[in-house]
Amino acid sequence: MTRGTGPTPKISLRNVGKQFTVRPSKDQPEGTTLTALEGITLDVAAGEFITLVGPSGSGKTTLLDLLAGLTGPDTGQVLVDGKEVTGPGRDRAVVFQQYALFPWRTAAANVAFGLEGPGSDGRRLGRKERADKARHYLELVGLSGFEDRYPHELSGGMKQRVAIARSLAYEPDVLLMDEPFAALDAQTREQLQEELLRIWRSTGKTIIFITHGIDEAVYLGQRVAVLSSRPGRLKQIVDIDLGERSGDGDIRSDAVFVEHRHKVWSLLHDEVRKAQEAGHAKIRPDGSAPDEAPQLSQGRAA
Amino acid sequence: MTAPTLTKDAAASAAPVADADVGRTAQPAATRHLSSLVRPGVRRVGRVIWASGAIVLFLLLWELGPTYLASASTRVFLPPLHEVLRALGSLIAKGQLQNHLAASVTRSASGFGIAVVAAVALGLLVAWYRSLDRFLNPLLEVFRNTAALALLPVFTLLLGIGETSKISIVAYAAFFPVLLNTIAGVRTVDPLLIRAARSLGLSNFRLFQKVILPSAVPTIFTGIRMAGTSSILVLIAAEMVGAKAGLGYLIVNAQSSFLIPDMYAGILTVSLLGLLVNYLLVAVERRFSRWRTAVGSQSN
Repeated sequence: MTRGTGPTPKISLRNVGKQFTVRPSKDQPEGTTLTALEGITLDVAAGEFITLVGPSGSGKTTLLDLLAGLTGPDTGQVLVDGKEVTGPGRDRAVVFQQYALFPWRTAAANVAFGLEGPGSDGRRLGRKERADKARHYLELVGLSGFEDRYPHELSGGMKQRVAIARSLAYEPDVLLMDEPFAALDAQTREQLQEELLRIWRSTGKTIIFITHGIDEAVYLGQRVAVLSSRPGRLKQIVDIDLGERSGDGDIRSDAVFVEHRHKVWSLLHDEVRKAQEAGHAKIRPDGSAPDEAPQLSQGRAA
Repeated sequence: MTAPTLTKDAAASAAPVADADVGRTAQPAATRHLSSLVRPGVRRVGRVIWASGAIVLFLLLWELGPTYLASASTRVFLPPLHEVLRALGSLIAKGQLQNHLAASVTRSASGFGIAVVAAVALGLLVAWYRSLDRFLNPLLEVFRNTAALALLPVFTLLLGIGETSKISIVAYAAFFPVLLNTIAGVRTVDPLLIRAARSLGLSNFRLFQKVILPSAVPTIFTGIRMAGTSSILVLIAAEMVGAKAGLGYLIVNAQSSFLIPDMYAGILTVSLLGLLVNYLLVAVERRFSRWRTAVGSQSN
């Protein structure tokens, strides 16, 4: 499981578990606890691109929140560079599925958002420096000339490019991506996947990428971590070796790709079925899962 | 689109040569090319005519109705438009209208300004601190549901009939729309944006300054616009009850002095002032919420 055999892994999850208290409802007056994650142990080496797949409600987003420092684990430890995560930090950036752009800021101002205020070295960037950096990172994601557009003037793909530029702009070591391309159409998604790989190669970031697309996971990741249905456990990690990618060929129809894809698919398939039977749905940020309560009332009615 | 066609036909038959462009679009055999060029402009003119139709009809009715339809006694109380306009002209010429207008505008602007500053500040606090909200909310609900004009006697008794009581009651009336909208604006900030900002490690203060406030601005401005309307409304009523100047005073005083055209001139000024204030506030609101134009069409 430990691939980063070097000194300290960039990210290290040690037996991480997370529970939520479900608020009391009519059906469950005393409230219940919901175990989102259980016993997750995973090391990610610096510069690695790892993808995370799992059925709905398997705690993928919860895991990402833990890594981002938006919540803390109930058991175990989350380590970045060997230090325990105590809160959000500029060494990690999150890219959300719904872009999370600030609609009152132009593309450039959105990218510059993380540059305002003191940086990691305690220095404040001037207005000019911020604008230069914003322009640079917009260029990196292929959005030169769109600096002054507001988010509502951009397509979904462009919005996500801006969001990626924003998280790259303050130069974090780790990119945490939560189904970033799920809301995009197939062509835009493929295009952005390629660009993400290009950016990853040129910047050497460590990327943790959550998706529920098996193709996407296999295409992007050096390793694919498969989570089980709730409570989310690490079911297996699949090493992906697609050889040298020229970028021209259709790698997705390659025999090796298909083989990997099938492997991940079969691992995931059982879990998805289990999750569906249990009626699991997405765990909300506040820890409630919409499927839990109705499930119980159904049981009562029967 | 019947109105524009009619006017076009009229124009074409009146001046078939001079107004060739317009004339041709009215003819069925007109070339497609030309009509497609001219049509947007014509359509806009048509729309303007259609949109002002009701107003024009109303003014016509006002002008002709009292002269031809009403009895002589009614005509005294409802003078035709031209008499009202003449009265308005002489009020302006004598400088009276300007004085009354200035008095009213000063009062409503001061009260409105005080209300906006106080309500935005309190609204931000209430929306941010849940416990403060729980403490203040019942009291605020009581005050909010007490009509401002019902309190007019109280304001007059405590603060006299001078400027203070009028500015206070305007401030009171304008306070609540701004307060409620500020609270709503802060409460309805997209939680995803807060998550995004938090993931960048923003402090509470920065989060407030950079995310919550800007995203609440359009909602706050809706409240400010509502407050603008109600501040004029309440002021006129307050001036009617007790004042020595102002548009409300002008109207009531003209009525009791039997200067009926003057009274209507005052009323007309009030509605024009209201329109102007609303127009200005809408323009400011639009300026501050340009980014919001396509929120509805976002593919979330």
